[in-house]
Amino acid sequence: MANTRQNVYELGNDWADPILWYARGVAAMKKRDLKIATSWRFYGAIHGIDAPLWTQLGYLSQSDQMPSANVRDRFWKQCQHGSWYFLPWHRGYLLAFEANIRDAVVKAGGPANWALPYWNYFKPGQNALPPAFASQDWPDGQGNNPLFVPQRYGPNSDGNVFVPSDQVNLDAMTDPDFTGVTSGGSRGFGGVDTGFEHGGQFHGGIETQPHDWVHGLVGGGDPANPQMPGLMSDPDTAGLDPIFWLHHSNIDRLWEVWRQNPPTDVNPTDPNWINGPGSLGQRIFSMPMPDGNAWDFTPGDVVDLAKLGYQYDDQTPLVAAISTSDRLVQLGATAAVAKAAAVGVRVTTGKNVELIGANQGSLRVVGQDVRTAVRLDQGMRRKVSAKLAAAVQTGQQPDRVFLNLENVRGLTDATAFKVYVGVPEGAAPSQYPDRFAGNISLFGVRKASVPSGEHAGQGLTFALEITKIIDALHLNNALDVETLGVRIVPVRPVAEESNISVGRVSIFRQGS
Amino acid sequence: MSPAALERWRVRSPLLLVAAFSWVALLCLPRITPTSVWCAALMSQPKQLAAMFVPLSLGWVLMLAAMMGPLLTLPLRHVRDRSFTRRRTRATALFLKGYAAIWIAAGVLLSVSALVLNRIAQDAFLRLAIGGVIGLLWQFSPFKERCLNNCHALTELSAFGAAADRDALRFGLSHGIWCAGSCWAIMWFAMLPPRGHLIAMAVATLWIFSERLNKTASRWDWRGPVRPFRIVIAQTRLLFARN
Repeated sequence: MANTRQNVYELGNDWADPILWYARGVAAMKKRDLKIATSWRFYGAIHGIDAPLWTQLGYLSQSDQMPSANVRDRFWKQCQHGSWYFLPWHRGYLLAFEANIRDAVVKAGGPANWALPYWNYFKPGQNALPPAFASQDWPDGQGNNPLFVPQRYGPNSDGNVFVPSDQVNLDAMTDPDFTGVTSGGSRGFGGVDTGFEHGGQFHGGIETQPHDWVHGLVGGGDPANPQMPGLMSDPDTAGLDPIFWLHHSNIDRLWEVWRQNPPTDVNPTDPNWINGPGSLGQRIFSMPMPDGNAWDFTPGDVVDLAKLGYQYDDQTPLVAAISTSDRLVQLGATAAVAKAAAVGVRVTTGKNVELIGANQGSLRVVGQDVRTAVRLDQGMRRKVSAKLAAAVQTGQQPDRVFLNLENVRGLTDATAFKVYVGVPEGAAPSQYPDRFAGNISLFGVRKASVPSGEHAGQGLTFALEITKIIDALHLNNALDVETLGVRIVPVRPVAEESNISVGRVSIFRQGS
Repeated sequence: MSPAALERWRVRSPLLLVAAFSWVALLCLPRITPTSVWCAALMSQPKQLAAMFVPLSLGWVLMLAAMMGPLLTLPLRHVRDRSFTRRRTRATALFLKGYAAIWIAAGVLLSVSALVLNRIAQDAFLRLAIGGVIGLLWQFSPFKERCLNNCHALTELSAFGAAADRDALRFGLSHGIWCAGSCWAIMWFAMLPPRGHLIAMAVATLWIFSERLNKTASRWDWRGPVRPFRIVIAQTRLLFARN
């Protein structure tokens, strides 16, 4: 019988048995030394570790005995980011972690079918940090609740931890393709084709939003020292926060929800994905298990929840599909033309990606509102307009359009932006919700900006879909312009010392 | 094939074709094959080298196309993806100009130092031993890994006009510097044997290509082209598992 992962807010009360046993399991793992492969900090380092940062945050000291170099090379710094392995690797990571917690639970007299709860911050009334994590005390009033961490600062960095509903969304769930491109268009729901990628430059749809966002919103930054992240805000410390696992349980659940819409919305069948990076001569995915052995797995091993022995209590589809015919009607096509198009088939993605426009020069992000102008190539702009007009007449697939923020670099992950396109000069962006392009969280930017790192400090490149904005501008005859204004609005003022910059802001079309 | 893999192959295929033609030219054109020209240079007096400048340079350029061409998939994709369609050919040409300029300069330095070493250490074994020690020290150093990691760097590029031209050229120059920094020791070592330079080139090509597949932290470490062997072992295991 499958173990059921339940919504943490629907267990009955704040300290219902699944959460109480989770806390006991976490406490058991936290008692183990760093060099023990099933210890809390070892498991945190599997996701990522930065020795100076861990030391500053109090998670590493001179007295710690490190595991051997072979063990570290096999297990540590393994998390897959900016890669199509993002979802399957984290599923395996969760499964192994859950097995270790369950082992501790059973040894303490708890149930053998204990399963990791999930935090569905999208459900009304459930976006606050689950109360068991916010309390410094156990339910009996005794201190040292292992689910509480002081370095969890929240979206306003004031210790009030919640996920603001207006800063997260499920837009990624509408992407029909698991994998995409790095050339400026859609990265796909699950991310781009890479090898073993511990810190990829191009994050996929679900990884960007809500995954990266929730990390940054929950972790926040230390108000006394803005350069110091909350644990959840940085990939090298995120695995140390007990809420990390409930967040990823939800991301894993969303993957299962997304798969419920065939013939699109299916996992890759490419052998390079199924067989994992080990088949390409690279590091394998490997997790320490409670019996002392390592579990080596591939994405192909973790696609079937029934075989893995677990399920979610709620896999209800959350977002209605967007069909080609819906969009054509919105663009002004007749009912006959829209009907003749692929009715009911969700928007599919063309293979041709082309630059339409870009700004000039690097953009420093400081303060509260940063502006730049994306200059449009007139030939490409006319091409996009012509394709939109042709689609209305013939029912052919119109282009998708993406705003790219390229080479975003910085010294801290604990910040996030709202991005707007085409807001009139002098107007407040908040007055133009229809020009809202999306949110960008800087989760992973610090690590990607390190010059001696694997990508030589090139930062991260983000892609936000702005198809609806371009459609609206086209319909209002407002697309025939030389430039499009882009406004970057940090959710908290950005300090100059954070050294956040955007290498280039650009716009791409993706279509036939 | 995934959409990203398709994008890679659109750029890689012509590079492989150019590399293949270059290898054929190097094999079949006796006046510029590395074996004949380089051997002759090793045995020449300094004032005779000036007369060999043209065939040496031509051979070097063909060698670059043959050995380095396929390694340019990532940066060339970046230049083309991030440029307007109407500018892609121009941006590609500027990148290649900058890249080639660095390697031509590196070629002069490597050739001169190899010839000087040939004069100092006339015994081939001694020459190879000196080259081997220097090469291995560099190979295992964090500086080498830093160069290799920077070969994966994809910097932002201006999109319009003279700034776009400048950035494409600059990207070619910087990529050339990091590439030369990563590969100079292997290239130099391949120039030191008294004969068999074409075979040495081929081995160096495979070595460099295998290394380029890796990205790791910059530190002192054993470092070598083990990945192709891992791929063969992994794929063989999969084949047996399926059967």
